[in-house]
Amino acid sequence: MIYRTLLLSAAALLMACDPAASDKSTNKSHKAGSADTEAFPSTYKPLPSKPTRITNAKLIDGVSSEIITGNLFIQDGRIVAIGADAQAPDGFPEDAVSVDAGGRFVTPGIIDIHSHLGDYASPGVEANNDGNEITSPITSEVDAEHGVWPQDPGFDEAVQGGITTLHILPGSANLFGGKGVTLRNIASRTVQGMKFPDAPETLKMACGENPKRVYGDKGGPGSRMGNIAGYRKNWIRATEYKQKRDKGGDDFVRDLQLETLADVLEGKILVEMHCYRADEMAQIIDISKEFGYKVTAFHHAVEAYKIPDLLKENDICAAMWADWYGFKMESYDGIRENVPFVHAGGACAMIHSDDENNIQRLNQEVAKTWADGNRAGLNIPKAEAWKWLSTNPAKALGILDETGTLEVGKRADVVLWSADPFSTYARPETVMIDGATVFDRESGLKPKSDFSVGQGEAPQSMASGDEL
Amino acid sequence: MSKRFHILLTVASAALLSTQAFAQDLFIQDATVVTSDGQRADTDILIRDGAITQIGSNLAAPEGMDVFDGKGQWVTPGLFASFSNLGLVDVAAEATTNDISASGADTSVSERAADSFNPRNASIANTKRRGVTMAVVSPSPSGDSIFAGTGLIATTSGQFNSVVKENAFVHVALGETGASRAGGSRSAAMAQLRGALDDAKGYPNRYRSPTDGDALSRQDAAALAPVVRGEIPLIVSANRASDLLGIIRLKQDYPALDIIILGAAEAWQVAEALAQADMKVILDPVQDLPAQFEDLGARYENVLLLDKAGVDYAIMNLTSYRVTKPAALGQHAGNAVGNVLSWDKAFKAITSTPERWFNLPSQEIKTGPLTSLVIWDGDPLEATSAPVKLWIDGKEQSLESRQSMLRDRYNPLNKSDMPHKYR
Repeated sequence: MIYRTLLLSAAALLMACDPAASDKSTNKSHKAGSADTEAFPSTYKPLPSKPTRITNAKLIDGVSSEIITGNLFIQDGRIVAIGADAQAPDGFPEDAVSVDAGGRFVTPGIIDIHSHLGDYASPGVEANNDGNEITSPITSEVDAEHGVWPQDPGFDEAVQGGITTLHILPGSANLFGGKGVTLRNIASRTVQGMKFPDAPETLKMACGENPKRVYGDKGGPGSRMGNIAGYRKNWIRATEYKQKRDKGGDDFVRDLQLETLADVLEGKILVEMHCYRADEMAQIIDISKEFGYKVTAFHHAVEAYKIPDLLKENDICAAMWADWYGFKMESYDGIRENVPFVHAGGACAMIHSDDENNIQRLNQEVAKTWADGNRAGLNIPKAEAWKWLSTNPAKALGILDETGTLEVGKRADVVLWSADPFSTYARPETVMIDGATVFDRESGLKPKSDFSVGQGEAPQSMASGDEL
Repeated sequence: MSKRFHILLTVASAALLSTQAFAQDLFIQDATVVTSDGQRADTDILIRDGAITQIGSNLAAPEGMDVFDGKGQWVTPGLFASFSNLGLVDVAAEATTNDISASGADTSVSERAADSFNPRNASIANTKRRGVTMAVVSPSPSGDSIFAGTGLIATTSGQFNSVVKENAFVHVALGETGASRAGGSRSAAMAQLRGALDDAKGYPNRYRSPTDGDALSRQDAAALAPVVRGEIPLIVSANRASDLLGIIRLKQDYPALDIIILGAAEAWQVAEALAQADMKVILDPVQDLPAQFEDLGARYENVLLLDKAGVDYAIMNLTSYRVTKPAALGQHAGNAVGNVLSWDKAFKAITSTPERWFNLPSQEIKTGPLTSLVIWDGDPLEATSAPVKLWIDGKEQSLESRQSMLRDRYNPLNKSDMPHKYR
């Protein structure tokens, strides 16, 4: 009986999602399951926080090119004052938490624009492999958030590395891989509870070797020519779909796959595109002009250092590794100065991890590439290089108004470091998201996923190494 | 020119054709020098005729000699990568360039990395630029054998004579990798390993009868024989604590085995037992995630607990060791220091420890013939530091590589008007 009830409810749900089954008003109305009703809305709520005064800190604010010694005031999860001589604003409570940084570094929380945490969760068993919908080269209808397992222990280790916001993408098997999702790195039972409120939606696309390798013997694309044809054919479909959608009417049928692409053409969804080779990035830029959309950032962009002028001219960011190269042909020309060279060329550069280990140490990845850039003759100050960790990723995710820098009015996503974050020996001591402490090294405050409970540790009754 | 130097020049004319040059006489002044006693600040080193003739404070620079200002610079032996695939692969995803493993081969232990190794591989010079002067080069297991093959040790000089030990060790996989290779279970992997060791122990007698060995062909048993005699190490990859105990039991049954455990994510749970059994361990101090079920207990305290228990360990950037990222060795050791291992211990774990395991000549900085030497522009365990001068086998090395040449071609400071292909 219970079983039957469940079946019935499922059927009812399906009906609710079927536009044909709902009322006959236009798609502009807010009917259930229409394009205008937000699907899977964010339920993120900042953790409770206390007004906090941090004094005598070396501030890297993500805006200035200089490190400023000064104070930072946080109230209601937002930054209310910051600067060399910043004082408590009117009404700032006397009994606020006071932290004397004692000359330690305070920075914005780190933002990783390219992560697969949750989608390729640890442990990497087959059942946790939810990052690529390898069933067709065109899967713009899928959403990375539907593969995210909030219990991935990787989130917990990333927070001790100072990651406060991260962007989860589908993998790069497909030309159109699906939507990405921007998350707060916050303990939550659901992915909706992590979703960055009002962050723009994104679309993952992929260039080069991966799509043609995966689909070469499955109907194509089987070459870079096929890749380009695949993008253009589908942008033509999307353009037609968008025209029909704009017109509306009873015969308009919603198509999830084309809806994503039409939203890109409308400028509502940011394109985050996996692309290694300089010449391919140039071709993609041409396609974006042909169909009237914008590429927000090239990801991996191992050869971005060859075309900083082109990226600058077209206002496109590049998200890069410090030193990964050589694992496939399109990464063979990787150099250690990619990030600083793109930056010096006047384009928007940033670091990214694409990795559950390196996401814990993105500050070191920036330190490495920054030092190599300066060794090559550039003269980039540390505070300027910090923008590769928070300011520029926030820009490329469309959330710079909310986070990415320490400025009055922004979310208090803050890291207090044990030492200069450009040192390998430095560790985040305290990490705050919206002014709430989510990690504290000294007190041992740290999230622990359900998966990590009750395993991976010696039994209580047994001291390490005894009783073997 | 001394007579000795003249002879060296003649003998090594091939080396002169390359980008290498012999060590110049050099006086390094006021550097931080790392010797077997640890860091020595404000120290001078006198290098003459390919030898360190003096180490000390406030030495006088000999007249006419080049003086290298060592303020803020560090002088250390070259780093030792205790596990890598260097020189076995150009582009990992391109099968024709990838000799790391041979899934279609009938052979196993007898597959020698030395027959695949290419010292001219571009990633070797790229790695040398990061201060790595010596590397363990290992194949990886594939097909239905738990054995990867026989590995070598080479310098990163890029010379055709850079292999210092051809048949240096055998690499075998237990744990999840071994289980999958052996057909699906740990029991099968251990049965294959014990069968193989018995085959090797019984070689050649066991192969005189019409029935061959239990697990290995004659050729592979011959290749494994030096391992069961304890002449060369057996590198065994495993992570789960119970697998590590299985390796200790194996050692009890085959006492001559010289075992180096690779991975060892849960070693901290059995640290005392590993120390008592004199097990050597290669680990990555940043491994803190359960990559698989076999390392549910991965945590960054692993290295600290092993150190406390007295286990003999080397540090390697295993979570990023492949040819794509072998240069992060110093950074990974630095992270152990960030998690409060002492600097001296972390540095030994990427230099003298693996050197001792493979019975290689000491590279420590002392008076006598120059071996490997690196002058860094800062603390070598900081990710921001890099070598400014580097010697291998007493010969100064070029720090140029394919990466540095691409860097120079596309450097934003390069104001050439010509297309990049002409730069």
